[in-house]
Amino acid sequence: MTPPTLHKKLENAMDIDSIKQVWAESDPRLAANLRFNAAALQAWHMRASGDALKRLVRELIVELAVNVLGVGLIGYFASQHVGEMKFLLPAIALDVYAVALVIAGARQLADARAIRYDAPVVEIQRKLEMLHVRRVRSILGTLLFAPLMWVPLLIVGARGFFGLDAYAAGIPWLAANAAFGVAVIPLAVWVARRYGPQSSAAPWMRELADTIAGRTLAEARDALAVIEGFAGYSSSTGSPDGGR
Amino acid sequence: MNGNGPHDEFLDDLNRHRAMLVKIAAAYARTADREDLVQEIAVQAWRAYPRFERRSKFSTWLYRIAMNVAISYQRRDERTRRRVVTADEPALERIAGTSEETADERLAQIYELIEALDPLDRALVLLYLDDRPYAEIAAILGITETNAGTRIGRIKERLKRDAAHTA
Repeated sequence: MTPPTLHKKLENAMDIDSIKQVWAESDPRLAANLRFNAAALQAWHMRASGDALKRLVRELIVELAVNVLGVGLIGYFASQHVGEMKFLLPAIALDVYAVALVIAGARQLADARAIRYDAPVVEIQRKLEMLHVRRVRSILGTLLFAPLMWVPLLIVGARGFFGLDAYAAGIPWLAANAAFGVAVIPLAVWVARRYGPQSSAAPWMRELADTIAGRTLAEARDALAVIEGFAGYSSSTGSPDGGR
Repeated sequence: MNGNGPHDEFLDDLNRHRAMLVKIAAAYARTADREDLVQEIAVQAWRAYPRFERRSKFSTWLYRIAMNVAISYQRRDERTRRRVVTADEPALERIAGTSEETADERLAQIYELIEALDPLDRALVLLYLDDRPYAEIAAILGITETNAGTRIGRIKERLKRDAAHTA
């Protein structure tokens, strides 16, 4: 028998009220082969892979720990080179970058830990999407600023780990590296926008390109707008129109 | 979990609502992932149970958890699929069950309708089909009753327009 066309299905099904009975009658059949027990719940609970939010929290904790360690190490380096501006200034630049990462990470961690699935749906979906926006923004900022940190990292790293003076390579060489770091940012964005959507690229490359090109952030903002539109969120108050 | 008192009560309540979890999972997950989604919802409910103070009905509380977990699952899945699927690849498996997977073709048609809606509208329709009063729908979703009623009306109109367009 030829399945009915979609428009016929819609015509037949468009009366939502008439399909409530069909919907209700399916309950016993759907429930027949499923029964929860304590042992199964315990086993599922132990499976770490199922919970994406917990994975994100662990990821954020690790990132935060690494960045805090970085702030500490760079701060120590700076304290050891207070009288040497050629090392102190790059260390300060790196520390500002690392502190910004710590602040962004701490905020995301606080947001993630505040998610409670038993709260109203729109509230939680809005929080999750805002967290996603912050995460994407943070990753984008990290990627775009990283080339600027290359020369300070070289100077501080060479001195701190190996006792070497990167300035011995010559100011022109360092300046060329710094200029390259500045130029690579718009170049990376252009390449990501021009070649990012290509189907032949691996998924991780496409994801990276989408992030650098700003597409991921735009998608996340659009998704957040849909959620806020659903609840009739007021842009000025941040709460649903009409209140709850 | 040791099966005493509150846990027995939780399991009894959860099992009374297992059809609800299956329906929600079927509305948001691909066939291969539905069982995992049902498990994830059940585990999240179990974890949240110590905080449940019975100020609302168990069904209201469980709907919130189920919808939040399912919608979050679907958003993550969509983001992943956008990176993996290209125009040259075969069309993705439909989220809705096929007539081979559901005994009732009408139920499959319902899922096909639901699939066309965005996640929050989908949640609204699922609650409406489950015959939840507007006050409970509003409490589960965190919107006003007026908003819930208006949105359901709009969805019905949209379905009628789509049917008229394709006829």
